[in-house]
Amino acid sequence: MAKKVTLLVGTKKGLYILRGDSGRGSWACEGPEFAPAEIHHAAYDPRDGSMFAAVNQTWGGSRIEVSRDMGKTWKTTKNPAFPEGTDRTFSKTWHIEPGHSKTPNVVWAGTEPAALFKSEDRGETWTIVKSLDDQPSRAKWVPGFGGMGLHSIAIDATDPKKMMVGISVGGVYRTEDGGTTWVQDNKVDGAPSERPDVFYCIHKLLAHPVESGVRFMRVHEEVYWRDPGETTWRFSTPGLPTNFGFAAAIHPRDTQTAYCIPLDGMKRTASPFGIGVYRTTDKGKSWDRLDKGLPEGAPMESVREGMHNDRLDPMGLYFGTANGDVWASRNEGESWSRIAQYLPYVTSVHAATIE
Amino acid sequence: MLLHGVYRGFAGGARDVTLDAGTIREALDGLVRAHPSLSERLRDEHGKLRPHLALFINQDDARLLGWEDAPLRDGDIVHVIPALSGG
Repeated sequence: MAKKVTLLVGTKKGLYILRGDSGRGSWACEGPEFAPAEIHHAAYDPRDGSMFAAVNQTWGGSRIEVSRDMGKTWKTTKNPAFPEGTDRTFSKTWHIEPGHSKTPNVVWAGTEPAALFKSEDRGETWTIVKSLDDQPSRAKWVPGFGGMGLHSIAIDATDPKKMMVGISVGGVYRTEDGGTTWVQDNKVDGAPSERPDVFYCIHKLLAHPVESGVRFMRVHEEVYWRDPGETTWRFSTPGLPTNFGFAAAIHPRDTQTAYCIPLDGMKRTASPFGIGVYRTTDKGKSWDRLDKGLPEGAPMESVREGMHNDRLDPMGLYFGTANGDVWASRNEGESWSRIAQYLPYVTSVHAATIE
Repeated sequence: MLLHGVYRGFAGGARDVTLDAGTIREALDGLVRAHPSLSERLRDEHGKLRPHLALFINQDDARLLGWEDAPLRDGDIVHVIPALSGG
């Protein structure tokens, strides 16, 4: 059967599901589900077809919902919970990351206050990763503009025990033993300035899905690449109009290609250069602009979870905007078309490649 | 107890529950026993009632009557209401 793509589009007023046809040229829009709750992130688990949604709501508190029937029905999971004796309370889910194929029942969640939660039952229940929570440096974590959350969970392509997490503002932590122990991993190479310790506001950290050790990371005003065996983050931004931004994607097969959407660091929109997707094909050494079909000069905004790719060949790339658009490219970013508009503020886009 | 708004959805569509309770706290405990799915929607992991939750005893705001310790009498209706919030 031909593979299809379904987009899980989180907005500030619920979750929308865009189901594509086999050519990725026509999209049926369903939703919103969970409105008026904000959906900070939604994710598809290719291992068993589950869908997860981070439903962040004032009424009844935030929760994680799971669907086992491709988004037709949803079930509330047991909330992530901070342990007794702490004054922290689960406030929001920032990111849900299905585990490695070698750990089929494991799902991860990053929350606000910043913490990593692990599920060993396909997302039904969640337990805090105490070894990370017990890091003495946690005392130095502070909120970024959007709060203090753990939002990036980068699992190595071949070894599920090797993971990195990114925290705003708390930097990167790395484990190589499945989360038993963690070390800070913030040493940079070539950056305009080196900040102390945790004071790296990570915006997005991605692990390459098939090549062990390849990482792509966006920090507040920086863009970094890391190759296998390297122990520092290599700064390189030639060709980018600014170094600021959130949205990022990494090619599902090519080990040297990644994408990002730059924004102005003060205005937080693509102004004055206009919305555009930038691509590197040489591990960040250079960047070129991809904007065919995008509105010229549009000062739009795409946020942290705003861009994602499918796994087809050629790869499809998708991003959502604060003004309620979803844009799609069927040719790896070479040209773009708008596939949804007038949605609420888009907070996340996740492309599910479905067999 | 009479559920309003999203709390009916959280309780699987239930509208009301009749139970014996001497205080709001006992009433909430009984409500959760009847509808366990409400447990995490009413309280956080430390047992604290969530913000954006309003409880009324008949026409009176329970916050002014002792909140969880507010006494109940036979025939009282406890309204569980999503407090006005959002935008």
